[in-house]
Amino acid sequence: MKYAFFPGCTMANRLQFAEKSVRMIVPEFGVELVDLAFTCCPEPNAVRSLSEDTWVTFAARNIALAEAENLDILTACAGCHESLTLAKHELDTKPERKEKANEILKGMGLEYKGTSSIIHVHQLLFDEIGVETISAKVVRPLPIKVVTHSGCHLLRPQKILQVDDAEVPVKLDMLCEALGMDPLEYMDKVMCCGAGVRKTDSDTSYAVLKEKMTSMVMVEPDAIVVFCPTCFITFESGQRITNRLFKTEFKLPVFYYTELLAIAMGLPDTDALLADHRVKIELPEFSDTKKEDSESIPT
Amino acid sequence: MVDNSHNQELEDLREAARPCFQCGICASSCPVFRVAPEMNPRMSVDSIITDGQVPAEGNEWLCAYCLMCEERCPMGVSLTEILMGIRNISSKEGKAPPDFVESAEALLARGCLSPTSNRSVKKRVDLGLPDLPQPDPEHVKLIFEVTGAYEVLEANRVAVKEEAE
Ligand code: SF4
Ligand code: SF4
Repeated sequence: MKYAFFPGCTMANRLQFAEKSVRMIVPEFGVELVDLAFTCCPEPNAVRSLSEDTWVTFAARNIALAEAENLDILTACAGCHESLTLAKHELDTKPERKEKANEILKGMGLEYKGTSSIIHVHQLLFDEIGVETISAKVVRPLPIKVVTHSGCHLLRPQKILQVDDAEVPVKLDMLCEALGMDPLEYMDKVMCCGAGVRKTDSDTSYAVLKEKMTSMVMVEPDAIVVFCPTCFITFESGQRITNRLFKTEFKLPVFYYTELLAIAMGLPDTDALLADHRVKIELPEFSDTKKEDSESIPT
Repeated sequence: MVDNSHNQELEDLREAARPCFQCGICASSCPVFRVAPEMNPRMSVDSIITDGQVPAEGNEWLCAYCLMCEERCPMGVSLTEILMGIRNISSKEGKAPPDFVESAEALLARGCLSPTSNRSVKKRVDLGLPDLPQPDPEHVKLIFEVTGAYEVLEANRVAVKEEAE
């Protein structure tokens, strides 16, 4: 399997260790990544608010680049995934949109055809590779309690994105279970982290984060697991600001899922991934959790 | 600045909002409404239907674009499209908040919103990540030009200046 990889600007410029973890794990499942000259997806909220046409045309150009190489796109950020997928939906369902975009793309020697599909790492792992295959690769189970946050832009609108159930998402939890983790249910599991209004009104944004994290800490997890660099940054850095603003005491480590996958698979150099985490966690020692050779276990 | 295309856009939004029966499920599902009740998606829709105009307070810019309202609306009203439509109209009138304008400026200047820095480049090198191919700046300019983004930017730059004076 070969994909045009779309890490997105947030991951590429601010959460490089998460990008690294994606690039580390995919070859283990026979997946090859190709880098193309993408622009920003563009970010689904900011640019689209100013001009729908601008938003859809940037996305059409990005998708057309992958189509020219006959590749499907693999996204790693929920925001990029939503933006590209919704734009594709617009272009595929409204012929006048597609025609208009193609008139512009012609000037760049590109054409949007609608032939490439767009999948997120979440879908690659759960739908294409599958929990069982992942589970079989685990050499170092991670017995920690986690709360998962799939992210608004992977869950909604469900009828277009079709990543998981928008009200009761379970797939990221199942992916965590495959690594030996214990995913906990919590009240506001599908609520937003607040990132979308951070720049416009930061107090409101952190008030949303406070609600979300209050619900998380009620079930006493060891860590948060996400599938989006923007959610990652919101939880990891935002909790400190929330603590300052609202006198809360949040101190939860955050992981992008594939970091934990790389560790559980026993891949080399995973220390480099964790070095930049701002809230540290003591993961159980390798020797304590190493899977026994199944043949040596008497049945 | 009189622009008649707004009338058509408003008419389209009104049509999209028509099934709404003001049940309030959107507002009660909204994470922003939960902490800042001045942001109320139900009211934004109501203002489009009953007054035929975009709400004057500009609260739609507080929407976090989480799509919860839309997912839960029992009438299938696409609230985020309506909120985006409202924002598109007020952007043309130069009413976009500065951070939205900044994002568009960043996209124009570099083709991405999250800027690269010496530090971020060094991080990539240290982790052994590849150099990502960069988009042709002419492509970015062309899209801005042909889709009217320059005019929207200009309208908001003027508004920012007037505010400062
Ligand atoms: S949930 Fe739908 S029908 Fe109910 S108030 Fe909101 S837009 Fe109207
Ligand atoms: S998309 Fe906006 S209005 Fe709708 S629930 Fe989310 S924050 Fe509220």
